[in-house]
Amino acid sequence: MTRPRAYVVVLCTLMLSCCLMLAQQNAPNTQGVTPPPNSPTPTPARMTFFVSSVGLGKGGDLGGLAGADAHCQALAAAVGAGGHTWHAYLSTQARPGQPAVNARDRIGTGPWFNWSFAQLGAPQNAVISADLAELHGDTLVQAQRGSNLFKQSARNEHGQIIHGIGDTPPIQHEILTGSKWDGRAYMDNADHTCNNWTSSSTGSAQVGHSDRIGNGSSWNSSNGTKGCSQADLESTGSAGLFYCFAIN
Amino acid sequence: MPKNKSSALVLFCIVSLSSCLLLAQVQRPGEYPRGEKPSPMMNFFVTSEPIGDGGNLGGLAGADAHCQALATAVGAGNRTWHAYLSTQARPGQPAVNARDRIGKGPWYNFKGEMIAQDLAHLHGDTMELAHQGNNLNKLTGLTEKGQIVPGLYDYSDPHDNDWDYVKTTRFSTRHEMLTGTQTDGTAYTDGLDHTCDNWTSNKSPAPGASNGSLNAADGRPNAQIGFPDRNGGGSGSWNSAHGTRGCAQADLPKTHGVGLFYCFSIY
Repeated sequence: MTRPRAYVVVLCTLMLSCCLMLAQQNAPNTQGVTPPPNSPTPTPARMTFFVSSVGLGKGGDLGGLAGADAHCQALAAAVGAGGHTWHAYLSTQARPGQPAVNARDRIGTGPWFNWSFAQLGAPQNAVISADLAELHGDTLVQAQRGSNLFKQSARNEHGQIIHGIGDTPPIQHEILTGSKWDGRAYMDNADHTCNNWTSSSTGSAQVGHSDRIGNGSSWNSSNGTKGCSQADLESTGSAGLFYCFAIN
Repeated sequence: MPKNKSSALVLFCIVSLSSCLLLAQVQRPGEYPRGEKPSPMMNFFVTSEPIGDGGNLGGLAGADAHCQALATAVGAGNRTWHAYLSTQARPGQPAVNARDRIGKGPWYNFKGEMIAQDLAHLHGDTMELAHQGNNLNKLTGLTEKGQIVPGLYDYSDPHDNDWDYVKTTRFSTRHEMLTGTQTDGTAYTDGLDHTCDNWTSNKSPAPGASNGSLNAADGRPNAQIGFPDRNGGGSGSWNSAHGTRGCAQADLPKTHGVGLFYCFSIY
C-alpha cells in the first residue's frame, strides 16, 4: 500500500507544478500600469474620470443618486482627487411629481481624463472624451467611431483595469448606468434603474460594458440586469460598479 | 496511514488538477487553439500574418490574394476572399469603398460566431446601430488560425515597437488593421494619403515630416487603421481609429500594427 501511495503523491506534485506553470502564463495583465522611470510626479488631482473600484454592496440600491455621488466623492478623496465635485453617471426615471434625470446632464462638459493622465502625465488613452457629444456619439460619425472609453482607458481610481470578458473571474465589466445610448433616461414604464437606485430586490438596471464586449459594444447601454440584488448583478458580470465623472 | 486520509489526498489531487487544467485551457492572445479547425461557416478573419512590405500590399489584388492564400492554407479556399480595404480616387480611376467589396453577410468567424448580420450592422449605418455596435471584439476578431490578436498590454513587451523584434514572434501587440476607410466603410475623398498610395507604397515620411502625428498630412505616406479589439488610441473604432507613422514595414509597429487586415468572403 505504501508504494503506490508514494507514486500518487509524486505524480500529483509533478502534474500540479506543471499545471501551475501553465496557468501562470494565462494571468491577464489587469493591474495598473507601472509608471515608467522618470515619469512626472503623480498628480491625482488632475483625474476627472474613473470607474468605481468597488460597488456599494447592496445590488441596485445605491441610496439614490445622492448615495452614488457620495460614493464617487469618497473613493476620489481616498486617492487625493477629492478637490473635484464628483457625480455618478446614472439616470433616474420620471415619477409623479419628479422629473427624469439624464446621466449626461450630470457630468459637466469635459474633457475628462482618466487615471493614466493624472499619474503619468499624458500617455495614450488618457483623454476619455473631449465633450458630451463625443462621449455619447451624438452624430452618426461620432457614434460609429466611438469615444476613447474602452478597456485600457476605463480604469478605476487606483488606475486598475476592470476585469472583462476573457479575464480572471470575477468579471465586473457590467457598469450600472440606467441610461439609453444617448445618455438619457428611459421614458417607458419598465424599470431600468432598480427603482431609481433604491431597490436591492426586484427590477432591473441598464448597464454598459467597460470593455465594450457584450451584446454589441456600448459603454453605457448594452442590456438590463436580471434583477437588482447583489447576487443578480454578479450572476451576469456586474459588481454594481458605476462611472464617476468630475463636474468641475 | 488510515485509508480515509489517503483517499482524501487522492481526491484533493484530482480536484486541484482539474481546476488547474481548466485554467490552463484559456487561450492566450497569439496562441493557436488546440486541435481546432475553422468552422465551415467561417467567412471572416483577421490575417494571421502581414504581407511584410508595409503599406505595399500589391494593391487590392495583392491583398485579396493574401486573404485567399491564408484561407486556402486552413481549408477555406473554396470561398472567394476579399480584403477589407478602400482605395482613393485617382485621375481616370474611381475610388473603391471597402464596404462594397465584402458581400452582404452575415459574417462568421473561426468559431462560427457572428461578427455582423449585414453591412448596416457591421458599419452602424443608423444612429441606433452605430450606438449598439457590431459583434467584433477582442474574443471574436480571430485570425484564420483561430488566434486572438494580441492587443495593448497583453504582453507589455518593451520591444513591441521594433519590427526587427516583432517579426520574430507572434506574441506582441499587433492590433492595428489596415483599412484605409472612413467609419462608414467608404474611401476618403480628401487629397491626403489614407491608403499608402492605394496599397502600393512602402515609403517612410521624410525626416521630420511625421512629427508624431497620426493624422493624414500633406504629402505624408499614411494608412488609416482600426482595432478588432476596440481598444486603442483615437477611438475604439474597428475600422477607422487613426493613421500610421508611415508606410514602411518598420513604421507600422511604432503604433502597434504589423500590417494585418480584415478578410471577408464575398458570398
